[in-house]
Amino acid sequence: MTADDTIVFVVDDDEALREALGELLAANGVRSALFRSAGHYIGSDKPDLPACLILDVELPDINGLDLQRQIAEGDHPPIVFITGHGDIPSSVRAIKHGAVDFLTKPFSDTALLGAIRAAIAQDRETRARRAELALLRQRYRELSPREREVLPLVVSGLLNKQAAAELGISEVTLQIHRRNVMQKLAASSLADLVRIAERLEIPIRHSRRMGGI
Amino acid sequence: MIAALHRTPPALMLVTLAIGLAACWSAGSPFGILAPIGALFLYARGYWLLSLWGGLLIALAGTVLAAMLYPGTIRDEALSLGALVAVAGCIGLLLVPDPLRRGSRLAALHRRAARQPDGLGGYADRALDGAVHPDDRPAIAQAAAYAFWTGVPQVTSYRQREPDGSYRWTELRAEPGYGVSVDVDAMVSRPCDRWTVAESLGATVAAVKAAKVIESLHGKAWAFDAMGKFTYVTPAAQVAIDMALEDLNRRLGDREFIDGGEAGWMRGVHPDDVDKAASTLRHCLKTGEPWNIEYRMLRATGHYVWHRISARPTRDDEGRITGWFGTSIDIDVYKKTEAALRAREQHLEQLIDTVPAMIWSMTEKGHPAYLNKRIMEVTGATRETIMAPDGSLSLKKMIHPNFLDLAEQTFAKSVATGAPYNIKYLQRRADGAYRWTETRAEALRDETGKIVRWYGVSVDIHDLIVTQTELHLRKQELTRLVDLVPSHIWRLTPAGEPNFFNRRFIDFLGLDESDLETSRTERYAAALNAAIHPDDAVRLWAELKHCLLTGLPFSMRYRLRRHDGVYRWMDGRAEPLRDEDGSIIQWHGLSHDIDDQLRGEEALRESERSLRQLVETLPALIYCAAPNGEPIYRSEKLREFLGFGLGDKDEDGRTRLAGTLEAIIHPDDLPDVKEKYGLSLATGSPYAMKHRLRRADGVFRWVETRTAAMRNGEGEIVQWNGISFEIEDQVRAQEALTLTQERLARAAQAASLAELSASIAHEVNQPLAAVVANSHACQRWLTLDPPNLERAQKTVERIIRDANSAAAVVGRVRALFRQTVEARSLCRLDAILHEARDLMLEEASRRRIRIEIDIEAGLPPLALDRIQIQQVLVNLIRNGLEAMEPTQHRALHIRCARTGDLLRTEVRDTGVGIDVPDKVFEPFFSTKSNGMGMGLAISRTIIESHGGRLWAENNQPSGATFVFTLPVETKADHDR
Repeated sequence: MTADDTIVFVVDDDEALREALGELLAANGVRSALFRSAGHYIGSDKPDLPACLILDVELPDINGLDLQRQIAEGDHPPIVFITGHGDIPSSVRAIKHGAVDFLTKPFSDTALLGAIRAAIAQDRETRARRAELALLRQRYRELSPREREVLPLVVSGLLNKQAAAELGISEVTLQIHRRNVMQKLAASSLADLVRIAERLEIPIRHSRRMGGI
Repeated sequence: MIAALHRTPPALMLVTLAIGLAACWSAGSPFGILAPIGALFLYARGYWLLSLWGGLLIALAGTVLAAMLYPGTIRDEALSLGALVAVAGCIGLLLVPDPLRRGSRLAALHRRAARQPDGLGGYADRALDGAVHPDDRPAIAQAAAYAFWTGVPQVTSYRQREPDGSYRWTELRAEPGYGVSVDVDAMVSRPCDRWTVAESLGATVAAVKAAKVIESLHGKAWAFDAMGKFTYVTPAAQVAIDMALEDLNRRLGDREFIDGGEAGWMRGVHPDDVDKAASTLRHCLKTGEPWNIEYRMLRATGHYVWHRISARPTRDDEGRITGWFGTSIDIDVYKKTEAALRAREQHLEQLIDTVPAMIWSMTEKGHPAYLNKRIMEVTGATRETIMAPDGSLSLKKMIHPNFLDLAEQTFAKSVATGAPYNIKYLQRRADGAYRWTETRAEALRDETGKIVRWYGVSVDIHDLIVTQTELHLRKQELTRLVDLVPSHIWRLTPAGEPNFFNRRFIDFLGLDESDLETSRTERYAAALNAAIHPDDAVRLWAELKHCLLTGLPFSMRYRLRRHDGVYRWMDGRAEPLRDEDGSIIQWHGLSHDIDDQLRGEEALRESERSLRQLVETLPALIYCAAPNGEPIYRSEKLREFLGFGLGDKDEDGRTRLAGTLEAIIHPDDLPDVKEKYGLSLATGSPYAMKHRLRRADGVFRWVETRTAAMRNGEGEIVQWNGISFEIEDQVRAQEALTLTQERLARAAQAASLAELSASIAHEVNQPLAAVVANSHACQRWLTLDPPNLERAQKTVERIIRDANSAAAVVGRVRALFRQTVEARSLCRLDAILHEARDLMLEEASRRRIRIEIDIEAGLPPLALDRIQIQQVLVNLIRNGLEAMEPTQHRALHIRCARTGDLLRTEVRDTGVGIDVPDKVFEPFFSTKSNGMGMGLAISRTIIESHGGRLWAENNQPSGATFVFTLPVETKADHDR
């Protein structure tokens, strides 16, 4: 774990604890950014690095658990909750919604650092997957409308002839489209294309009629 | 007899002739002939009388001649005949006293006419028979009659026959009431009359000659010379005035008449006229102007008689005045007539002016001619003001503008057609006011029917009109009143026939007033018969008949059909109107529509009935009491519950209230009930109490009784209405509920304690977490190679800081209760005490503990946190109640009094007491199994934050007293 390519966000309203955490992370060579409320955290510009969010449950503007639910939709770093009086329902709820750990104050440095480490590792992975998907989506956007029509038919396992009939075009034209699709999506084989389509969550359609149009 | 004979001359003649012949024959002498001769003398007139005298003279002369010529027997015969004739002449002289009958006849006639107005007709007849010219007879007769009947004097000229058969113009004045006559006596020559003629006529010969001519024409004339001396005066005139020439010319002063002196004739002139007569005569004598004058002349009879005197000069060839001649005419009749006329006119004018009416006249063209004095006074108008410039009538200033056109048109129409004029209008009066006036005018026409003049009378009828108007208005008002009064008014004849319905009654019945075929009485009776409800008709007619017979007032309720067919209940009443004798003239009746009222009453009765039923059947115990609390009503349910009625417990010497209360209220509740009920009765405030009530079977049941005052419009209490609910089950349920609640409260207290602990833990954990994190950081800094001492040092400082802040948390918890200064306001401690007591009342009564409060009056308000102090009191009261749980004697006393600058409040229980009075105030100290041990600690904190003290003492023999003081001048900024 190096200090430069990762960052830990700390959101706690208690200044003393915030400082102490910053100090502890610094002492362990972890870069950190400190926020006194959820509002400050959301409103700030954050570096695009593998990160971890240490979130106090009792915040002045919003409950930490509610904040977790709010940011769940977007891309956000894994969360490590800290709380003054942890109770079981809160911790269960936090973990179920994807929190990495739920620490009760006062907590030991190993527990905290371990949680941070795990969180950052998780974030690294998430980020990598997210970057690949973004690339695929970029490629998909480059397809022509007809190619986007061809793709689901091809990955559905239809023969060229069937797909051409489906679209009302000649088989040759279909083959040209298919080659273009594979080229644009950098698919090395049909299986690869199927996997990409799956990643892109392209629905598989066997026919127009069955598509339920 | 003689008188009768006098009236019939032929009969008298025959009688006297017969007597005379009989005397001649019986006596043998001719003296008997004297009787008829005497009779002849009596009646012979004029010519015949002269003939008689002549005959007698011839006979006498013949007898005398015969006596002288023939002596012997013939002489004797002649002498005796002569004697007879002489005697006859003497008889004639004796019988005819007035030989000059001529001239006195007319005067006599006139006098008779004047003095015997009732004999006018006879006079006229005789006058007509004799002396009046036949052509003038109708005129004079009419004049005489008119004068008599109208009283207007008449002067008529007629021709009178002279004895010689010629006619002479004569004037007759006929007037009733007084007479005017020419005094003839003075003109009669008397034996002693003296008159003279002048010795010498001098230069006045011509004048005397002229005078004589006049005398021959007029019967009276005179002449005087240029100096005014009379030279000739008709003898008759001298006699009449009893002045001879000498008397007339006598100089009475130093100077001659012409020079201003007084002459004798002036004595014969009325003193008022003499100066003028003398001066004018002198003037004429000097200038030669004709002398014309009227004055009163003194007659020999002593009367002054008016004369008109005229004199003219005579002149010689050279034009010099030689003398004067003149005459005087008796104008007394004219003068007196004129005066009488003037007096009459004046009288008439006075009459017209004094008549209380405004009289006026107009010319035939309608131009104003005359206004009487009254009209001018009253209206201020004069002939000029009502006359337009062209002389026509202008009523603008006399008549109210509203009537002007009408008056002018009416008047113009009357003038044009001659129809009588009659109008009533507002006349303007002198003072500017307008008054009602009636004016009537009629035309006076001449014989040909032509209008000569309009005569009018205006009469003030203002008061009459005003009275009439008032009467009319009053009548109208009365009629309106009768018609508009919201009742039916009617009138019956003594026989019971309706002869009057007022407008409302007619409208009610829907009577057709336009039906004039049948009489009103019949129509009314028919309408009434038809309108009365068949069920009431028999009853009503019977009652009415009874009243009509006995004269008793009628009063009855019955149904009457309205015009729309709906029957309405009426309350009819009638009373008879009696005359002085007490007999009934008519019945006056009034019917009032009471349908709505009856329906209202019925509805009210129904509502009352249902209300009573409601009260009786309600599953509640209901009672009413008089304002003093005496029970006056108990509902059926209550009577059933108690087993006795309202008056069953009455005893002598005790009020029903006291007797009842003691009989039905549980002895333990009785003092409270009496006190609270008494308080409510005294103050009028509602009463609410839960107590036990003895049921008929002797079992006491819990009831809740509520009583409230019913007040009238003035706010006075008229009755107390109360209700008791049986709450036995409710009370039981309530007790159970309260128990549960208490447990729940304690559970809540425990929960809140847990929450408090969590909060405290959080507060403490926060700095602790920082301390731990910093400690790890410090350790890390120190274990680095090389150790980062600088950062470690900084971290340690933070550890110390955070640890201190953790310690401060505990301090802050206690301070929590001191930070509410701004919530303080001026409050009355007694009010807070009562609130706290009320909050705990439920629990106290469940524990069967009475809370007694004793608060000194007039305690000052304090600056307090009301809620905190209330918490303290509730806490202390609850502690007390809980402390008494195991004991028997249960009463909690709260006392509050002022001692110096402090208000001292004690909460005293009779519980088990406290072992260590100071220790109970320490946090988390509790003697109770389920206590938290925070209540008293917090209470002390609160009291001390208010600048007071809270402590506990043990009572003798048992129980504890918690005392707290609060300074009267509590400052808001205590820091403790």
